[in-house]
Parts: sequence; structure tokens; C-alpha cells
Amino acid sequence: MAAKRSYPKGTVALSVGTKRGVFLLTSKDRRTWKVEEPSLVGYRVYHAAVDMRNGTRMYAAANNDFFGSGVRYSDDFGHTWKEPEKGIAFVEGSSLSLKNIWIIEPGRPSEPDTVYCGVDPAALFVSHDRGKTWAMNAGLENHHTRGRWQPGAGGLCLHSIVAHPDNPRRIWVAISAVGVMRTDDGGQTWTFCNKGTRADFLPDKYPEFGQCVHRLILHPTRHDVLYQQNHCSTYLSDNAGDTWTEIRSNLPSDFGFPMALDPHDPKTLYTIVENPEGRTNVTNQFTVYRTRNAGRHWQRLTKGLPKGPAVRLGVLRHGLSTDSRDPCGVYVGTNTGQLFASRDRGDSWRLIADFLPPIYSVTTAVL
Amino acid sequence: MADGAAPAATIRLPGPLRDRAGRRTEVATRGTTVRALIVDLDQQFPGMRFELCEETGNLRPFINIFLGNENVRDLQGLDTPVSDGGIVHILLSVAGG
Repeated sequence: MAAKRSYPKGTVALSVGTKRGVFLLTSKDRRTWKVEEPSLVGYRVYHAAVDMRNGTRMYAAANNDFFGSGVRYSDDFGHTWKEPEKGIAFVEGSSLSLKNIWIIEPGRPSEPDTVYCGVDPAALFVSHDRGKTWAMNAGLENHHTRGRWQPGAGGLCLHSIVAHPDNPRRIWVAISAVGVMRTDDGGQTWTFCNKGTRADFLPDKYPEFGQCVHRLILHPTRHDVLYQQNHCSTYLSDNAGDTWTEIRSNLPSDFGFPMALDPHDPKTLYTIVENPEGRTNVTNQFTVYRTRNAGRHWQRLTKGLPKGPAVRLGVLRHGLSTDSRDPCGVYVGTNTGQLFASRDRGDSWRLIADFLPPIYSVTTAVL
Repeated sequence: MADGAAPAATIRLPGPLRDRAGRRTEVATRGTTVRALIVDLDQQFPGMRFELCEETGNLRPFINIFLGNENVRDLQGLDTPVSDGGIVHILLSVAGG
């Protein structure tokens, strides 16, 4: 039995969800990283996160190829895991059954016991007791358009959840390939927030819904400002999702999955766009893209990242993350098992782990 | 609680499910159908039914249940009747090629 895990205050922890379990990497200085033995190795862990609002609890979306999928939580950094007393599932006898859990999102700072979870087929679940019991949001489940929702290639997945930090009645979710939806009444009703985002793969390029949003994030201080990476370009909204403006600018492709921002300078965004056919880097240079002016111009970040005719790396929607240190660290996990880190806002990069299983998600916490 | 008059059957568990059953390799259950046996198994070890069946009630695609030597998918599925002394094997589909 491995020793119980504990870490000094200030340690940066990366929770890395992979096709074969979850890995925890830790560092005091973000130069030297310690990689722990993986846990939940029989599961496809689509997402994992450390929640520090009420003690330290780690959550994992543990998807299984044979048996039922479920949330697992750990109070010892993945040394041991527990399962909920009432887990995530559709009503028995329903026409729906859980395929995969895509994201586990800790709720607002003001509700430290609340955790949200997004799944395929698209549904939002919430726990008000730190993951012990879960309930489905019926408003979204019973939306009058639901019968016309179509899955993206990854499934009909609800993959992004943004709870408004100050308004307990407002939440945004993002679903592939439905688009962004918002509730302003605590989840009883939901409206589409897709005006201005394209669906190039549909006859009507600007439908009410059907857009293939890939990732949705919120500005940390201006809570009407959202950013999204989409199947069909990169967008900003400064009115809570009512309308969107394209901020692709000089990015070399419309197509990308992940997005993150610098919490100390939220006009600084990071994304990785890809060749839409191969779903890997556009040129022979694996590149992270950064803007410092909310998308008016994008810089290519390449120092320390691999280059060559054999370099073809893909990054999935939750595979890019920043930490809360200043200057912020930036972390990128590839679907071929490389983990790159920058401790200087993306100016330079290092490979901090290789030969991992395909990486689905990277999240950060400063302990 | 299972009906004490219902047929008694033994369910043999695959490795990944044994932790949930206190490391048992087999469990004594009662029920008139395979579905009823799974309900009894779930009452003894909560969560077992969700491991084996989708919320729709269907058996998960890569789980196979054999009654004796017969795959219940070739019989009446989960509604296959069970006789006293039946042996039920839960097996995973072969994966990997």
C-alpha cells in the first residue's frame, strides 16, 4: 500500500484525467514535478478536479467500458476513493441511460458543498453535499426542444458548466452539438445563447440551437463576459451570452477544443486550434495560441514545444488549464499522453510527463 | 428482500465486481427470473444492478449473463426463468481484439 499523500501549502497540483485513470502531479516551484502512481486505472477519467472550498476533496468522472459510470471522490488526493450514496443516473425505466460523465465542476464559493456535473446524454446533475447524493436538473431534461438535439462526434455531451459567481439563479452550460444555454431562475427554465455563433455543418448557418460549442469559460471578474472555443471559430460575449462576436482574428483554423485564461489578466486567453480533418497541430510545429487583448490578435507560443514532420498532437476540450499563481502557469495534455507546462504565462514550455495514457483533462489547484 | 419461496440460484461474479460483494466470488440469490436475481443481488450489495443494467432496464452491452451454459440473450433476456439450483455466470465481453 502506497503512503498516504500530503503536500505542503502552496504546492501546485495537477489532476490529469486519462484513458486509464487519474494522475496527480505536484510541484512547489513548478520546475520539478512529482508524478504519483495513477488511481482508478480501470476507468476512462474524462475529468478530475481538486475542490478546496470546504476542506480538500478530489473528484473524478470515472467512466467504465463494461459497467456503470460514476463520480468518485477522494479526501486523500486519490489514495483512496469513495462512491456516492446516490450516484448519477437517469430515472429507472427512463428512455435515457448514462453513457459518460464529462465534467465535474465545483460550484460557487458561496455554496461550498455544491458540485455540478455534466453528462452524456446531455443532462446537468447537482450535489449539495459534496458529491454524496446527486439529483438531475429537470428543467434542462424536459426542455421543449430536447427531442431535436443531435450529438456531436463525442456524443450528446454537456461538457462545460459555469455558475455565475454572484447570482445564484444564473448558470450557463455548453452542450455538443446543441450550443450554450443559460438559466436565470435557478435551473427551472433554460434559454439558448447562440446568437452570432456559426454552425457551418448545417443548412442554416445561424440556427437557434445546433451549434457545436467545444468549451465555455467565464471572465473571473466581469461576469457578463464569456469566451468559447467552437467547432466553427472562437467567440466572445460581453452580454452574458445574449450575442457573440467572433475573435478568431489571425488564428490559423476555426477548429479547436480547449480554452483557458490568465486569472490575473483575463484578456489573456489561451487556445489550441487544429487541422479539422486530422485534429492535430495545423503545421509541423505544435503551437499554443495566446491573445493578450481578448482575441484582437493571437500570438504563437512555441518555445519548448515539439516540431517536425512526425509531430501530430491533439488536445481535447479539457486538456488545457491555467493555475492561479502570478505569473500563471499553463498546462497542456495531449491525447497521446504528453504533458507540457509553462511557468511564465506560456512564453516557454517544458515536457513534464510523457508516455501517459491519452489525456482527457488537466485541472489545477494551488494547495 | 427476495421471496423465500422463489428459486434459489448462485450468481458467480467476475473479478471487477467482487470488491462490491466483499471479495465474494459467488453470491446466493433468489428470484424467478434473471432480472429478479439481479434485484436480489442489488439488495444485498447496493449498486450491483447499475453496474449490470442501464437505467432503461436493459443489460449493458458488454455484460454477458449465462444461465448454465446459455447466454440469456439467446433465451428470454433478463426475463429468462430461473430454476432452483441454477448457476448464473456474469462475464465480460472479450475486449482487445
